[in-house]
Amino acid sequence: MKGFTTKAIHGSLQKKDPHGSLRVPVYDSVAFEFEQAADMQQAFEGRRLAHSYTRISNPTVAEFEDRVRLLAEAAGVIAVSSGMAAIANVVLALAEAGSHVVTSKFLFGNTYSLFEQTLKPWGLAVSYVDMTQLAELKAALNEKTRAVFLETITNPQLQVADIRAVAQVARAHGVPVIVDGTMTTPWLFKSKDFGVAVEVISSTKCMSGGATSVGGLILDNGTFDWKQNPKVRPWVEKCGPRALLVFLRREIYRNLGACLAPHNAYLQIAGLETMALRMQKSCENARQIARWLSQSPKVSRVHYPGLESSPYYAIARSQFSGGFGSLLNFHLTSRKACFALMDQCQIVRRATNIHDNKTLILHPASTIFCEYSLAEKSHMEVTDDLLRLSVGIEDVEDIIEDLAQAMENL
Amino acid sequence: MTIKINGESKTLDRTALTLAELLVINQVESPDVVTVQINGKFLERTLFGTTRIQAGDDVDFLYYLGGGGGR
Repeated sequence: MKGFTTKAIHGSLQKKDPHGSLRVPVYDSVAFEFEQAADMQQAFEGRRLAHSYTRISNPTVAEFEDRVRLLAEAAGVIAVSSGMAAIANVVLALAEAGSHVVTSKFLFGNTYSLFEQTLKPWGLAVSYVDMTQLAELKAALNEKTRAVFLETITNPQLQVADIRAVAQVARAHGVPVIVDGTMTTPWLFKSKDFGVAVEVISSTKCMSGGATSVGGLILDNGTFDWKQNPKVRPWVEKCGPRALLVFLRREIYRNLGACLAPHNAYLQIAGLETMALRMQKSCENARQIARWLSQSPKVSRVHYPGLESSPYYAIARSQFSGGFGSLLNFHLTSRKACFALMDQCQIVRRATNIHDNKTLILHPASTIFCEYSLAEKSHMEVTDDLLRLSVGIEDVEDIIEDLAQAMENL
Repeated sequence: MTIKINGESKTLDRTALTLAELLVINQVESPDVVTVQINGKFLERTLFGTTRIQAGDDVDFLYYLGGGGGR
């Protein structure tokens, strides 16, 4: 079984359903019983593959984890309640008070908030660098650095760094690279092949099958020697090479309690099965719309890594397979013009999400970045004349026609 | 040969076998994600095909799904 969608649909075919159900059932049960006390003891000791309590593991969630593991060729996967929970779990596992993380100056607003407002007060030092400038990254690394974190395509700036080069720099310092692969998923980008140690994904987006449910994923690619991390090292000695996954499952993830609901796992398995088909369509739609917008006299600039004029086109083409993502940005003349265009849209919806089946538009500066100062927004290149378009899987002619009519009176 | 698997003595109808073969013979569940410890030493997955099981070995198949959860 080699094909991406074949794997997504059939999984590893390990367990037959007792009733022959072709869909994985929703095991909406908190607890699972054991025949004998000794079986229960073995399960708790890790000597028996059995679920005991849904906050720790659950059969429906495990099936979702296993299918993602197959698609990414990762060593192991843990599904969590959201993409933000995935980031928080990994950072809390790898870093401690007094340690340091290097991340991109371009981050999803909530991720920036997690580092800056939530984790800094607990004693984590954070450096923000331009990941396309390796000298900046090298200069920021120090003996207390526990991770380098970046997004495969930054949201909303759409910057694409050379991830292999970033990973080489980090590994030379004994530091793992964590990528947020929400925008790419293993369909566009196989992080394992680029030296990435851990990938986190908001499965709410491409995987959920059209914004059906919130979820997140932690993928350990099995390529990093966890003895190099002081917090994970004891778990290597205790539990072997899958130390990060065990540390998460038996402490961080377990104690934070951000588990994925079985019903959400069910929805996301269904979404995963059609993900490649949907992403193919949305990526192609985005490329056509980006080209159309770049020809419009009312649009001053378009950011999309799939445009040949993009400074990130060459690197995006070399590290992503099958497309350039379905998010694009464009500049008008002012916030007023942005709001006027948004208010005229009929098919394109005003909503904050990405990778929905529907095309969504928002004004980042007044919404997902509204809590930041002008200086912070300027640093992150979130300007007042910027609109973000998350392109869906509608017929592209209809999206273009809707944008065209919305622009008529600008 | 006789070995211990997860603490229980087991006699195998084989004189020589690799760890990868033992995973199949013993019908180990989810072999792609199992962690293996032989005589207290963890094995990298890349060594499963070449590691030979010896009589008297103490082999543990570990999953680490549980671990103190539940109320």
